[in-house]
Amino acid sequence: MPIKTLEVIRKRLEDRPAELNKLRENGQKVVGWTGYNVPEEIIHALGFIPIRIAIGGDDRLVEVGGRYASSKNCVFIREIVGAFSENEDPYIQQTDILAFDATCLQNFRAAEVIEYYFKKDVIVLGVPRNFYWEEGKEYFGKEADEFTRLLEERAGVSLDLTKLGESVALYNDIRKTLKSIYSFQAAKDNVISWVEVFDLIQAGDLLDKKEYLALLHQTLAELQALQHNPVIEVDGNDARIFISGSLIPRGDRKLINIITSVGGRIVGDDIWTGILPHLDLDIKEISPAGVALAYLNRTPHAALPYLDLESDRRLKKLHELLAEFKAQGVIYHTLRYCDPFTFKAKETKDVLAKSAIPVLEIHTEYAGSDYEALRTRLEAFVEMIKIKAESAAEVTV
Amino acid sequence: MANTDLYEYPPELREEFEATEAIQFRDGSSATAADVWHFMTEIAPKRYPFAYTQKKYAGVRLSRDIHLPSAIKNHYLLLTMNDRITKSRENGAPVIFVQGGQSVDPYYAAGGIALRPASVGLWARGRHEGLGLNEEVVRQHKQKEKAYHAISFEACQTAGYENIQEGGLPIDMVAPFTCLRCSDISYGVEAHRHGPNKAVKLMNIDYPMRHQADKKWAVEYFAQNLRRLTNEIGKLAGRDVTDDDLSKEIRLHNEGRRLAIETAELWWSADLPPTNGVDRRSLYQMGGMEVHGDPSASLTVLRESHAYIKERVKKGIKAEGVVDKPIRLFVCGSCVFPNDFRIEEAGAIIVGQDNHWSDISTLVEEDGDPYQNLAHAILSYPYEQSVELRAAWTIEQLKKSRADGVLFLYQWGCNTQSAIARMLCDTIKRDTGIPTMIIEQHEGGSEQSEQLLNRVNAFIEML
Repeated sequence: MPIKTLEVIRKRLEDRPAELNKLRENGQKVVGWTGYNVPEEIIHALGFIPIRIAIGGDDRLVEVGGRYASSKNCVFIREIVGAFSENEDPYIQQTDILAFDATCLQNFRAAEVIEYYFKKDVIVLGVPRNFYWEEGKEYFGKEADEFTRLLEERAGVSLDLTKLGESVALYNDIRKTLKSIYSFQAAKDNVISWVEVFDLIQAGDLLDKKEYLALLHQTLAELQALQHNPVIEVDGNDARIFISGSLIPRGDRKLINIITSVGGRIVGDDIWTGILPHLDLDIKEISPAGVALAYLNRTPHAALPYLDLESDRRLKKLHELLAEFKAQGVIYHTLRYCDPFTFKAKETKDVLAKSAIPVLEIHTEYAGSDYEALRTRLEAFVEMIKIKAESAAEVTV
Repeated sequence: MANTDLYEYPPELREEFEATEAIQFRDGSSATAADVWHFMTEIAPKRYPFAYTQKKYAGVRLSRDIHLPSAIKNHYLLLTMNDRITKSRENGAPVIFVQGGQSVDPYYAAGGIALRPASVGLWARGRHEGLGLNEEVVRQHKQKEKAYHAISFEACQTAGYENIQEGGLPIDMVAPFTCLRCSDISYGVEAHRHGPNKAVKLMNIDYPMRHQADKKWAVEYFAQNLRRLTNEIGKLAGRDVTDDDLSKEIRLHNEGRRLAIETAELWWSADLPPTNGVDRRSLYQMGGMEVHGDPSASLTVLRESHAYIKERVKKGIKAEGVVDKPIRLFVCGSCVFPNDFRIEEAGAIIVGQDNHWSDISTLVEEDGDPYQNLAHAILSYPYEQSVELRAAWTIEQLKKSRADGVLFLYQWGCNTQSAIARMLCDTIKRDTGIPTMIIEQHEGGSEQSEQLLNRVNAFIEML
């Protein structure tokens, strides 16, 4: 049975660009942000409309972006640059200010390219590579203060900590509700798919936050009415797939479509356009530094190097999520020239092999030329997982 | 099988060379010019025949400017890398892998030896004797392939993984700056965590970005990184590192930097190029004192060379193999450069490079807190600034070096230099009208690809 609120959200997304245009005509400003540690609550509390710039899947824009950056930049970054060059994306068109962070150095370069060629007003938040050092955290806190100061200049107002507290409460509620919804997709006899939840998460990048929260609550209520007690367990007919690795932004559905078309059931992810950024974000202090540090203390993004394998929280979280969602195999997705994830591909495979978890690495870009090759590999992987699951079930019987 | 058709230094040069100065090493020992001559004419041709190749365009071949003692001494220091570093390490100096194009003052202040990627490669190369040119190239490629397998085939910089993890090279610590010049390096450091060599210590010296030198908190944070670095190296070296140790090292390295700047200004002022491109680059780089793994040795050779350059410029002596009025090229980009031999054959010469020169030409304040001073200087490297600032500095170098054209070259897989290439070139063209060209270089064999060199030659012809 379809979830009615999802249809409402789809409709709201169609209307959103025109709505943004109207809001801007009335004097509101849109901050387009991209990165992995941008404390969005600060943007929101200053009265800006935050929009996440995360688009992909268009090989033509990749080609255009490469002319300004280079063909050696990851396809995601190239597409963003290409989109600013063409200025046809309805959300990019509405951005007044851009906020980038330096978690990924290619993201930092993209900020420079967009500022230089497209004359955009860009604010950059520095991010420490030694994020786990006390000195690194202190540096990041001060970068957050500076980031806030630059936004305040543009907002023409000072940050009101009461408003920041309200924004934090709103975002916390969004994160909590998303987490609850997410568990439904992985349940036996699920009434909502991972793909639907994935779209729902990404809708939050664009919609008004208060309205988004209301829609999430409505979605959750519908889900609870349809399925009183969702239980996450392996069903003999499923090939439960977990997606890890490079982000999959709005517009890029190649890998997801192939997995589902060959009979795989996606039950979880740790990608940065999925559920991961919404997990474990614990804001202890209502201040720019307090909010920013909570972002930094989440599961770290792969662009931030961590030098001890045994205590790596990213890998620990991956294992936790695999267990929670009872995944039977991992698709490790790496985008062309996405170094943060490609450099860790073999290592991640080795680590998961020790836990006897099958992994398939898919290295791809936004062109369609590898579609059939990917389909063949993914079909074989899904089939292998199903056979393995059936064998395990027979042994249990 | 080794190539038997090897280059030989003319015996009649011996007397002239042996009258030149000795190389002074950091541990107080020295190598007289006679020692150097003996090694370079008797020992090295047997141990390292690849360097004596007669192949005209081989990048590793010895400079033919035999009357410039620094050319021979530079090769001596490169070919004795294994002997010297192994000995120093056995005597208690920890060896640290660093980034290219960064200052190495804090590493030496703490009693360590800092080796940039190329120098680590030279040390590893020195452990394999008797190889001809092709054998050496194959060895290098096979080694690099191991890193691609263990890390990623899209990697450019692998932080010495192939030699440290897969080649048994006894590096004690991997601790480069994580600046924008190379995005791969910090991931390369991280990759060591899954390698078999668990003894190697890992640390990223975290380089803040975006107006970093103007932010007090960024300078403070980088200074804290430097303090942590010297503490860790000090532990490996078994000593406490004082502020005074760093101050002394800064003064020593400033001497090298100043000398390199003076040498460059002399070189650039000359009507006729006083050296070929290979020797020019070696001279400038000696000012950074990070090529040979021994700052004292680099400094003694640079001091002597400076006097030679001064003399050549005064007398209007032109380097052998260079045309009278060559097209002057300035190279920007990542840690690669086009083949000098081919460029000179085409009637041009490389007069400078932003990579390395950015850090060498940045002097460090000597009074006050050495960590703060060093941090501020390092965060001021022009190469690491916004495109407008980097372009302004590059244009200044173009004017000083009287460059006719700019080549922006980057290595395949280099994400951050490739991304700034067009912006930098567009700014240079906008502000000076100097022609520019962007080229991507793939890892090659002993020579560069015809495709790359054809493009460079066409650019020279156009100029």
